[in-house]
Amino acid sequence: MSVSVCLRCSGLRGAVWSALRLRPPAPGSPCAAAGLRLFSAPAPGETRPSIEESTAEYKFVERLIPPSKVRHGAGKVSTGWVPPSPSPPDLPYMIRRSRMHNIPVYTDVTHGNRLITIVRKVEGDIWALEKDVKAFLKDVTGKDLPTQVNEVTMTLKVKGHFDRELKEWLLNKGF
Amino acid sequence: MLRFTVVFCARGVTKRCVSSLAGESAVPPNLLLPTNLVDPSRHRRPAPPPDTALPILRSCDTSLPAHLSPVRTWVQTLMNPSDEPLGLTELHPDVFAVPPRLDILHQVEIWQKNFKRISHAKTKVRSEVRGGGRKPWRQKGSGRARHGSIRSPLWRGGGVSHGPRGPTSYYYMLPMKVRVMGLKVALSSKLAQDYLHIVDSLDIPTPDPQYLTELIKQKHWGQSVLIVDVGEEFPENILKATEELKTVNIIPAMGLNVHSMLKHESLILTLETVRFLEEKLLWHDVRFSPLYPFKLPYSDI
Repeated sequence: MSVSVCLRCSGLRGAVWSALRLRPPAPGSPCAAAGLRLFSAPAPGETRPSIEESTAEYKFVERLIPPSKVRHGAGKVSTGWVPPSPSPPDLPYMIRRSRMHNIPVYTDVTHGNRLITIVRKVEGDIWALEKDVKAFLKDVTGKDLPTQVNEVTMTLKVKGHFDRELKEWLLNKGF
Repeated sequence: MLRFTVVFCARGVTKRCVSSLAGESAVPPNLLLPTNLVDPSRHRRPAPPPDTALPILRSCDTSLPAHLSPVRTWVQTLMNPSDEPLGLTELHPDVFAVPPRLDILHQVEIWQKNFKRISHAKTKVRSEVRGGGRKPWRQKGSGRARHGSIRSPLWRGGGVSHGPRGPTSYYYMLPMKVRVMGLKVALSSKLAQDYLHIVDSLDIPTPDPQYLTELIKQKHWGQSVLIVDVGEEFPENILKATEELKTVNIIPAMGLNVHSMLKHESLILTLETVRFLEEKLLWHDVRFSPLYPFKLPYSDI
């Protein structure tokens, strides 16, 4: 670092270079007469190749850069994922898929014992969905479960953990 | 002074109401109308019927969900002051027809107002007030209350015990998706209330601000207009025309924000701006969460 600082001062540069004898020898100098040259200087008849920038190796880095968008869900998958039906089901409500193409049913636990199932991304008549969910869960459990409808955020909350049942039910409906 | 301005504005509205109403039902002179009363002469243009002869100048680029259909609006022109639209355009429902989440709109507006705020209020504490190092009188025997310094908060001229301390920052960031949702809700609300107008391009014949004001008045676009266009360069005429005008402002599409949209009554977008906004705002619905900041390159950005 200190050497580079020194070299920037033009006054000293000539003195340092000449002291280290880094200049190529002038044609009439004793070095040229003795047949000596620096290793870095080319021989009189030799041609050295120029520096060229190659972009052929960029592809090895470019293939590692990740995408930003989630890809569209593929058709047949061995993980058990079911794509939504191409035409929306004929119901007064619609439940969209999440950005990872899954059914938006989630569970929550608060205070250690308060179990809640949340259905998000509902569009259309959310009260019809609530009625259908209550009827379905009455068949499954035999109980009238308390539900909460939020019309502003268009979400439905049900007391208890029923994510597996609700996901299957919504899949069978074609959402 | 506020009351005078209220009376002044109300008088103007009253005059406009009186002129549009019949002579028999004249508004009494001592009636004070609210200042934010919508001008009754502002005609609400009906939505384009499905069987219009006008061409669809632009349809949505991205594929729509199967259960949603695009929203159609008129495309107008600024060149000639006639009221005839040039054609129709299709707008993506996930940007221009989202449910009106007023709570998100409020959140984003308050955030925009407060996140830049730095309050410089600062008071001196008893240690910072000049003087007060010496005990004013002896502890016992003087008959007066005991004190340790003349600058304690009990004293006149003393320090403030719990005052504002130094520059306070009110910076916070709402999640990116909330801010994006705020833009979508604002655009949808403008469209639903007939305050959003699409224009093919921002070319006007003269750089005269009078031409613009007359055009806006004739088309009943409202008191204040926000014009948005994509690109680094705008036509010279519109720049010169909006330079002098206080209520007509022009901004690039990257500068679109909820506060400006709420502040101005009407919003004018070009077809290019619509395409740009749809592309940028819909990307947030399908993107991954960031591995590293989105400013750095990803393979498809």
